[in-house]
Amino acid sequence: MDLDFLDNSLPIFDGTVTLGSVLKFILILSFSTFLAKILSLYLRRCLKDRVSKDAGETIIKILYYGMLTIVFFSNLRLIGINPSGFLLAGGVAGIVLGFASQNIVGNLVSGFFLMVERPIKIGDQVQISDVSGYVIDIRIISTLIRTYDGLLVRIPNQQVFTTNITNIVGHPVRRFEHTIRIRYSDDANAAIFLIKDLIEKEPFALLNPSPSVFVNELGDSSVNITVRIWAPVNEWFGIKTRILWDIKQILEENGIEIPLPQSVVHIQADSKKVPEELVAVPEKEIESVLNYEERVLA
Amino acid sequence: MYGRYNPPFSVEQEGIAISVENTGEQWIYRRTLGTEDVEKIILGDEKCLIINPVEPLNTPKEITPNLLIEFEKTLLLAGGAKKKIFLTFPIEIGVFIADKGEKNLQLLDVLSLVRQKFTLYGEVSNGVVCKHWKSQIYSISPSPNPLQEGIIELTLRNSSSDWASISKVVFSAYGMKLYYAGDVFMRARMDIFNRNTAETGFELQRLSGELKSSPLKDFKSRKEAFGVYSLQKLGFVPLKFYMGWGF
Repeated sequence: MDLDFLDNSLPIFDGTVTLGSVLKFILILSFSTFLAKILSLYLRRCLKDRVSKDAGETIIKILYYGMLTIVFFSNLRLIGINPSGFLLAGGVAGIVLGFASQNIVGNLVSGFFLMVERPIKIGDQVQISDVSGYVIDIRIISTLIRTYDGLLVRIPNQQVFTTNITNIVGHPVRRFEHTIRIRYSDDANAAIFLIKDLIEKEPFALLNPSPSVFVNELGDSSVNITVRIWAPVNEWFGIKTRILWDIKQILEENGIEIPLPQSVVHIQADSKKVPEELVAVPEKEIESVLNYEERVLA
Repeated sequence: MYGRYNPPFSVEQEGIAISVENTGEQWIYRRTLGTEDVEKIILGDEKCLIINPVEPLNTPKEITPNLLIEFEKTLLLAGGAKKKIFLTFPIEIGVFIADKGEKNLQLLDVLSLVRQKFTLYGEVSNGVVCKHWKSQIYSISPSPNPLQEGIIELTLRNSSSDWASISKVVFSAYGMKLYYAGDVFMRARMDIFNRNTAETGFELQRLSGELKSSPLKDFKSRKEAFGVYSLQKLGFVPLKFYMGWGF
């Protein structure tokens, strides 16, 4: 088979660039992409049990894109581009490209700062703007969130970086609060004792920072007891929902009830006091009013 | 209860009932503790079950590898001093399934008879969640119920020139090595650097002649327990715990 045509210089380049060198460039790039992917897979498997998913993914991404960048720039000569010239032209091209792709560059830079500053990590539960859920991946251009109801939301990194981020699992522990309403006729001290005993038996209600149970308000129809408990951040929701029902049950088992909203109306039974509009007008006065016209006419 | 069992077998102690029965072509593992029942199907013959104490950090759920032991009374250690004390720690019982030669271990079940409670060591923003246990300080080895409490022989070393006031100690489960016979035993150390910082760790080597003169049993007679954490493929995890928020 005659392969001489591969040595023919391409009309758009000078004599050093041939069809063969372009094919070689494409082959090297494809092979290095394939190699980088295999290396990523191998690294992912190796690092799985050794480092956190977040750190592992960052290492893999840096190696993957770093390898491709090095291969790309070191083989530019094959397609007639001098890397040093490329860098020189990069200044002008950068400005042109920058204007043309402001959003992409903005997202890229934001992605870089997100990886450096690390306000969120893969696996964290976060709220970004009005999207809440788990961070699945932090990519160069965008961040992927799986919402609690299972939707996949892609948020551009620029938006992630410039908006408020609430990292729900940013700290190891988290506090929650319940308000328990009991009747005025019930013993609040007994209720507090029962609730404290229940908290003591709950493993994930932390000893330190200590929980607090106290009468917070004398409401319209109830005495309001506030319960504040610290829990490990991953167990926070489970204990919050479980303990509320447990408190209700333990109080009811001990005769302490949660009252319905109620108002007490007092009717004063004082017969001597009669509303003003019901006070009988003296007869003379009525008469004088009735005769007013006659008197005026007279 | 601790030891190696060949199915079928049944063992019962202090409210814990563990059995493996043959039902035709498969084995059924059953465990009862209070109102809690666990039932698992085992496919495979020539297997044995090993019941031994494990790191007390798996029940009710493994959420932290750190164990904080709070002292009943605060202990004061003079500057430059080195003292040995004994503490107790909570016991968790691990049930493993293995080949006849006690190889290819797989955790089947973990249970505990003692109170479960967690606490935070350090600050809310960057502290660590720990399993909590309260212990008295003993000058000689106590004799607790081996299904509920184990013994830690803790060597305290105060490298600073100041008095050290100690009310708690935190250990990492990655370095724990448990030994058992009539009791359950661990040997640990705490090196105090200054008023707020210390480092804790465990002795990994088999205990030997050094302690023969001590009132404790000969350690060679104790068997090394299989741990849950030692089954995991551990990467670069610290075996020591650095106590940076005081003790």
